[in-house]
Amino acid sequence: MKKVLVVDDSLSVVRQLEKIISESGDFVCVGHAKNGAEAIKMNHSENPDIICMDMNMPGMDGLTALRTLSVMDKEVKVVMVTSLGGVGDKFTEALKLGAKNVISKPFETDNVLRILREL
Amino acid sequence: MAVKFFGQFLVEQGIVSRDALVNAIELQDQKNLKLGEMAVSMGYITQAEIERAHNAQMSKDMKLGDMLVEMGFLTLTQLNDVIIRQKNTHLYIGEALVQVGAISSENLQQHLADFKADQAKYVSDGIELPANIANSNIWEMTADLTYKMITRVLDLQFRPGKCVRSEVIAPNFMMAAMDFSGDLEARYLISVSEGLQQSIAKAILREESVEDEPSEILEDTVMEFVNVVCGNVAAKASQMGVILNINPPVTIHPPATGLPVPEGHTALSFPIHIGDGDQMEMILLIKN
Repeated sequence: MKKVLVVDDSLSVVRQLEKIISESGDFVCVGHAKNGAEAIKMNHSENPDIICMDMNMPGMDGLTALRTLSVMDKEVKVVMVTSLGGVGDKFTEALKLGAKNVISKPFETDNVLRILREL
Repeated sequence: MAVKFFGQFLVEQGIVSRDALVNAIELQDQKNLKLGEMAVSMGYITQAEIERAHNAQMSKDMKLGDMLVEMGFLTLTQLNDVIIRQKNTHLYIGEALVQVGAISSENLQQHLADFKADQAKYVSDGIELPANIANSNIWEMTADLTYKMITRVLDLQFRPGKCVRSEVIAPNFMMAAMDFSGDLEARYLISVSEGLQQSIAKAILREESVEDEPSEILEDTVMEFVNVVCGNVAAKASQMGVILNINPPVTIHPPATGLPVPEGHTALSFPIHIGDGDQMEMILLIKN
């Protein structure tokens, strides 16, 4: 099963994503981080296959962490999570920085799993 | 189930690849001239004049086109000509994807129709605000998206009450708020009774019971609902040409007397009737 790290400062988002991921049968959640800096540390310690990361977080935000991760670790696949997905500039910026896709909120379970399975 | 732009919809659906979309966006960046570039290409102004206008923008908050008119480099008629030319020659993302070979032009129409059907859920269908509210289209859209998210995300039956100007923010069990900045400044608030906080937590956490959840988590779910609504409002506003930035959500525990409306702000109250003694209200504090 592919290992997923969830990164979000909101505990309720972490809970939602962990539930969707763990109930899928294809993925296992290896932990969660609450900002970009923690995500970089946990990427090193947990070695996930996929990182689902919020764009806007206090401390190091998701796009800054994405920039670092795309240089440090060419293997890990990062998917950004945001309620701002529909703002074209944000979506484009995430893809240009190396994100594989963007998951919009509110979550649709089928959509989230399809995006993760296609990675 | 969110407000999207067409390119995002196609990538999410797996119709085009991420790399193809990035190529198409880069093609758009090359082909779609900015206002200043278009004015130069039409022979109305020089590059040096654009630079002078850019420098002037550092000390005065004004759009480039308006600045060029104010400084006498462009007439209003010329500015209109430039804007019309920009619109008429704009390379849209669908056409850009055809040009980079990601989709065929025959399929483009079908994809556009599917996208329109997906987003039809987010088209505003008439909310009445009190008279003389500036940018009323944005605030009507905000209320409309809130109602739609209550239905889709929270799965609650409700009846929206009439929107009124308010002198005080009525008390309730708790509120979650988010500030908009950018082209407009406002605070978005949702106030909920205790029972509704539980309903929101059940829907967000997808749990049958939330009785054992700590209050921190229950409050976080209301903030997350506000975050989802406001993010989608910002997305819809950007499609309407208005830039709204969102800031981290906060919770508020109002006193029994309610909260005063800050000076220089207009408060709009949108009562949301849910029944069973539960109270919900959406409030917009709009900076005048």
